[in-house]
Amino acid sequence: MTAAGPPLLRGTGLAKTYGNLVALDDTDFVVNAGEVRALIGSNGAGKSTLIKILTGAVTPTRGSVEISGEIAPLGDPSEMIRRGVACIYQHSNLAPAMSALDNIYLGRQPTRRFGFVDTRRQRLQAEELLAHHGIDIDLDARVGTLSTVKQKEVEILKALALEARVILMDEPTGWLAGADVVRLHNTIRTLKARGVGIVYISHVLDEIFAVCDTVTIMRDGRVVAESAVADIDRPRVVHLMVGEKLARESADAALKQRRPRGTGAVRLSARGLGKSGVFADVSFDLHAGEIFCLTGLIGSRRTELVRTLFGSDRFDTGTLEIDGRAVAPRTPLDGMSLGIGFVPEDRHREGLMLDMNVTENLAMATLERHCRGPLLSRSGMVRAGRRAIDDLSVQPRDGSKMVRLLSGGNQQKVLVGKWLSRGPRILILDEPTVGVDVGAKAEIYAILRREREQGAAILIVSSDLEEVMTVADRIGVMVSGRLVAVHDAGSVGMADIVREIGGGSA
Amino acid sequence: MSARSLSMPAALSAHVAPNALPIAVAVIIAIFALTEPAFLSTDNLVGIARQVAIIGIMAVCMTFVIMTGGVDLSVGPVLALAGLAAFYSLDAGFSLPVVILAGLSVGAVVGLANGMIVAFLQLPPIIVTLAMLSMVRGTALIVGGPEQHLIRNEPAYSFIGTGSMFGLPVSVYIFAAVAVIMILVQWRTPLGLLVAAIGDNERAARLSGHRTRFTKTLVYVICGLGAALAGIIQSSQVHTALATYGPFGTELDVIAAVVLGGTSIMGGNGSIARTLLGVFFLGILNNGMNILNVPIDIQLIAKGAIIVAALAIAARRG
Repeated sequence: MTAAGPPLLRGTGLAKTYGNLVALDDTDFVVNAGEVRALIGSNGAGKSTLIKILTGAVTPTRGSVEISGEIAPLGDPSEMIRRGVACIYQHSNLAPAMSALDNIYLGRQPTRRFGFVDTRRQRLQAEELLAHHGIDIDLDARVGTLSTVKQKEVEILKALALEARVILMDEPTGWLAGADVVRLHNTIRTLKARGVGIVYISHVLDEIFAVCDTVTIMRDGRVVAESAVADIDRPRVVHLMVGEKLARESADAALKQRRPRGTGAVRLSARGLGKSGVFADVSFDLHAGEIFCLTGLIGSRRTELVRTLFGSDRFDTGTLEIDGRAVAPRTPLDGMSLGIGFVPEDRHREGLMLDMNVTENLAMATLERHCRGPLLSRSGMVRAGRRAIDDLSVQPRDGSKMVRLLSGGNQQKVLVGKWLSRGPRILILDEPTVGVDVGAKAEIYAILRREREQGAAILIVSSDLEEVMTVADRIGVMVSGRLVAVHDAGSVGMADIVREIGGGSA
Repeated sequence: MSARSLSMPAALSAHVAPNALPIAVAVIIAIFALTEPAFLSTDNLVGIARQVAIIGIMAVCMTFVIMTGGVDLSVGPVLALAGLAAFYSLDAGFSLPVVILAGLSVGAVVGLANGMIVAFLQLPPIIVTLAMLSMVRGTALIVGGPEQHLIRNEPAYSFIGTGSMFGLPVSVYIFAAVAVIMILVQWRTPLGLLVAAIGDNERAARLSGHRTRFTKTLVYVICGLGAALAGIIQSSQVHTALATYGPFGTELDVIAAVVLGGTSIMGGNGSIARTLLGVFFLGILNNGMNILNVPIDIQLIAKGAIIVAALAIAARRG
């Protein structure tokens, strides 16, 4: 990886403080041409701050950034883009109703006289790009109709059309599964061969070993290790990321016993559930004391299915029984009165009140229990909050802390805790650990296992196969709105699941 | 992330910004008191309290609406129509409780309409209540016509706006009672928490099993009731009901007081107690400038500039 001349990107002595919080402390960071550098660390380790400095979204308190040896002005996003630094975020930044071609050139189309878009030149340029980087996309397809991996490729093309020389990818596979990850990795290898420098931010260690050349590991706002991927192994990476104690616990957890069908008592039974145009003919039983994972591709309608069980959406055919009684929840309140708790996929948009404190968030689903007549007992809330914080080891142990200021993992614990405080008989969790660091993941799994021991029926929607294989007692696979297979977790391998997931669709 | 000692300017802004409003109130009191000692006379201070009672009641009742991410522009005409409703009930010879109920029901009905349209049809509050402003004003003009309706020989009704007990005007007691009740509602009832939750993340509130649409409707009803109560006090104070009371700009004074109090216009964070500070800040500013004989044109410019400056300081908090 020795490049002639200066590296593509070099950050020197970068630091950022927010009030009395040090988000990033004296960090050096280098990306060379043709290098895929993994950037990993727990939430709150300083990765996002570093990335925001490199994209110009944040002005560092100290330090400098050089691009190809030239000092770049800091805190100016358009200048960073002009100098060839592009970032692809976890959530799509595309306009779904526009074509791939229009998205690629959005806001800076080549023009003719009088400012009219030169559509011919635009298309030629795009086709050249596709050919040069070996990417295959239908330029006229509306982006909203493309698969998630193709949307990622459109974003990459958009970056390349800007003549990006360094592409920062934040959790690029967060919403992809199986074959699509491989496809994205192939695209990354092609880019690398063309001399593009890539920063690959991910929580999924397998991917880092699959596609990255070098790795930078951060903890507590500092770089704790830099290494060639070939010179480091997985346990060492986890160890560096989370510290010794947590690393040991997460290794132990995977060896815990599986319990297909839990106590044997059917708690929730779906027969032929369907929602017109969304999912059809879904039948399964969920037992007390088991963890049932629903996996599949993004768009396989798992989220839509579980939302109808809780009552935040409605199914229109089939029957749903809970504890042997036919039910049709029509609102979340209905679901809750049936003993269901629901942790939604997007904790920021649907789960938490970010500007309210931990205590208030924990109490949000149990307010009626804290009432004395018409009055709310704040002290009761605080006591219950303190118990939950201890119980879930939320960090920091401070109920008055605004939820926005917690790391992703701790936010997720608060969200799970909100439902646990109801003592749910059925707990549904949609992608419970997306954007959660390794340490907090292990803690959340331990919490779920404990609930299972106490007889809760747990239904998890997850695209993360590592997670599915770790926590599931049974695994259901959904393809295009249908439940195509259900396995006991002990008797099926990851390869089989991957094959089934890909079964029905591209 | 680790803790680190604060630099001086950072420490200063960290401690000053959250308290910008109390400090600003203290500063303008000091300025007015030093330049015009009469400012601090008991009479003048009671006068300020009396002057701010009407806007204050409306601001206190508007705070929840703004906390849910909404706004209610229709408070001015509601004030006028409530006064007219009270006048006609008096005219018809009803007893005081019925008269007050008639006035308040105007606010309840308009608030219910605002709230249900915003919550159930999910239309933008600023447009809905702007339309309502127009409709209620029109209704008030139909009901009241262009003329002033004098309220005479109604000692019980007049007591509301002009009476006093233990040296304080009755309207100040009413303002205080409304403020205390609403502060209690904010901090000691589930409604207070739910209002903040809806402003912060309505979908999450709904997915936590809360009747968010019902709550949103309710906060507009509270706001309408506040405007109607203000209308009753005003008509009693000036012995007149008139369709054009609560002119254009009334709603802006109310919103300014709420926002100066630190309630986010985007919803979420907010505090009724701090709205009170905003109310008094504006009231003291008006009163002080009057005492100093600042011309009205300069007063308007100064008031606007000071509001923007106060908001700019408050915005640095984040």
